[in-house]
Amino acid sequence: MKSKKFRTRIVSLASISLLALSAVTACSGGGNSGGGKTTVTWTTWGDPGELARYKQFDQQFMKTHPNINVVFQPVASYSDYNAKLLTELSSHTAPDVFYVGDDQIGKFVSTHQLEPLNNILDKSKTISAGLFAPGLYGAAKSGSTYYGVPTDCNPDAFWYNKTTLRDAGITQDPATLASEGKWTLSTFLSMVKTLHSHGIAGAGFWNYWSTPYSWISQYGGKIYNASGKFVLPQDPTSVQALTVLAHLFQNKTFDVLDTLPSGQSDTMFLTHKLGFYVQGRYTIATIKQGGNASDYDVAPWPSKTGKVMPSGVATAYLAINKSTPHQSAAATFLQAYVNAQGQTLRLAGGGNAVPSIKNTSADKVVLGYPAHARFLLQMRSLGFEDFAPEAAVPGLSTDMANVYLDLYQGKISVQQALTQLSALAAKESSR
Amino acid sequence: MTEISTARRAGLAAAAMRIRDRPVAAWRRRDLWWGLFFVGPQTLLMVAFVLVPFAVGLALAFTNWGGFGALHWIGLSNFSTELHDPIFRKAVVNTLIIAAVTVPIGLGLAVVLATALEKVRLRSVYLTLLFLPVVTSSVAVSMIWQQLLQPQGPISTAVSKIFGIAPPDWLNNPGLILFAVCAVAIWSSLGLNVVIFLAGLQTIDENVVEAARVDGAGPIRIFWSIKMPLLSPTMFFSTVVAVISSFQTFDIVYVLTSGDGPGDSARTMVYHIYDVGFLHTEFGLSSAAAVILFLLTMVVTLAQFALQGRFVHYES
Repeated sequence: MKSKKFRTRIVSLASISLLALSAVTACSGGGNSGGGKTTVTWTTWGDPGELARYKQFDQQFMKTHPNINVVFQPVASYSDYNAKLLTELSSHTAPDVFYVGDDQIGKFVSTHQLEPLNNILDKSKTISAGLFAPGLYGAAKSGSTYYGVPTDCNPDAFWYNKTTLRDAGITQDPATLASEGKWTLSTFLSMVKTLHSHGIAGAGFWNYWSTPYSWISQYGGKIYNASGKFVLPQDPTSVQALTVLAHLFQNKTFDVLDTLPSGQSDTMFLTHKLGFYVQGRYTIATIKQGGNASDYDVAPWPSKTGKVMPSGVATAYLAINKSTPHQSAAATFLQAYVNAQGQTLRLAGGGNAVPSIKNTSADKVVLGYPAHARFLLQMRSLGFEDFAPEAAVPGLSTDMANVYLDLYQGKISVQQALTQLSALAAKESSR
Repeated sequence: MTEISTARRAGLAAAAMRIRDRPVAAWRRRDLWWGLFFVGPQTLLMVAFVLVPFAVGLALAFTNWGGFGALHWIGLSNFSTELHDPIFRKAVVNTLIIAAVTVPIGLGLAVVLATALEKVRLRSVYLTLLFLPVVTSSVAVSMIWQQLLQPQGPISTAVSKIFGIAPPDWLNNPGLILFAVCAVAIWSSLGLNVVIFLAGLQTIDENVVEAARVDGAGPIRIFWSIKMPLLSPTMFFSTVVAVISSFQTFDIVYVLTSGDGPGDSARTMVYHIYDVGFLHTEFGLSSAAAVILFLLTMVVTLAQFALQGRFVHYES
């Protein structure tokens, strides 16, 4: 009798525990919240400043869309974000809307994790496929189907300090030359040679796909052909461009910024030890930290002809989870996030990127500073994302960057680099 | 003989039946339910978070699963790919170097410090200071060391001034990076080892030490001939734990080098598993690497157990 009583008590305890557990689990999910509201969950990575802007956007969105409740799931670092998103997608617990990095989207497209966006882009009143620069879609576009929309972008540009150049005896201004169509590779090479002879690093580049591909593009070389084959090793112009680039790194005229201690590239730039800082619009934040803002300006990549040629533009995409039960609300959120108004809200007042949408009012957030900021918009319109065949294989871009780094550091010859790059492209693309 | 055995067996069977048929006491049944109640959640969690992931990981090692979609059985192909991959081999070598450097130096240093602290005044203060890195998040520890190891940081500046050389760039020089990782790993685990050894030293019978002293043994002789042999079971335990822990080095490398160092120079096996799995989304290959790590850890641990008879002295 007593035993039965105990058994009943244990069963009751277990039931209460299970109920409590299910209540907790129920609390964690999205869905329809009270009052007929639909809850849309979304996620991205970012530093505290960026995450604060995203939250600000959410507040604004919920004000204008009272029937949608937005739950933001921020992640601090990009690599952690990818690991988390991958796990959530494979366990079917991913948020309704999420950012996807340019190096990951190809995999998500090929494994059907993303909702095709053509319907949204065709019917939307505020966005359409044509409003975004075609080169920005990269691996987010498969055939004629769009799976992601560029949230904003960052063209790699040549930031420089006019005083640094002047102190080294350089009298010409790169941005002015670019405005006149005279910003040629030969002028640039002569400038970096002068800087180098004055003990100043000529230019600093980050080691990722944009550096070699943008450089090769200025020579008019080819990297991938129309059918997605890696043709860089077979194109004499590309090989010549890569040889020049490798030489400039090896003789320390150029610096690989990734190999410097954390924060040193910023310090070098602000203390006149670096001539050209090749990176995105977030450079403005560095300049504000310790520079005289009027001393700085920005120029596009120098080209063989002096005209602005296509160069690398880093972007990320906003995509909709194919398994979301809230497609309509997710689509509403996506449109609001990437349309001109959304981008303006996110990027105005010290934003660190360039709008990906071609829109006069959104472009205004860029045009205030520096003097030749319009080049950032021009580079966005002409530029290209990482090539789809490369971006479609997670990790391939990084593996190739490691080969380029060995080349820049003189550990391997150009021929060895080309052999290794071809092998990587062939091996990885066949997966 | 056979008859007796048969009779004995029959007797035993009858006894067993009697025991089985005897009514179980109520308190025993009650205890059984309570036992199940307390063990149940633990067992469930163990099954959910250890056994099932282990079994799934093992199974994945024989597939080409890329994170989504169907699984395809590919036999031992992943193991072959990993064993022929120079990057994986580099990760294995780096992991073994970290173990070979951090275990003897870390434990040796801990024994010396524990012996020095055995009779010292304000021991708890020193122990607290030594233990602080153990209770601090390894990520925080690594971030602090990341700043300390910069070329313009205090360590490089001191080395530069003492030896008259250019300030070493510990985290960007492939020849130095593993030493930096080892130094941080030793520093962060030192406190725990000191506490363990101190506890081991306190279990040593003072009479044995006193008898050796009466026989004319000096402090060094007492340390080597009395304390070390009696400390050997503790040393064995710490060695096994330290080797396993060094094989699992990840967070220090990941934070300190923001990846795995220039040219994979600080790539460890666990970082390799993470990289292949989550950055390259090749979960089959990643699982194969994890299985190889498991086997390597098991072989080394078994070897340690096999050798303990020679080096470990248990007081009878």
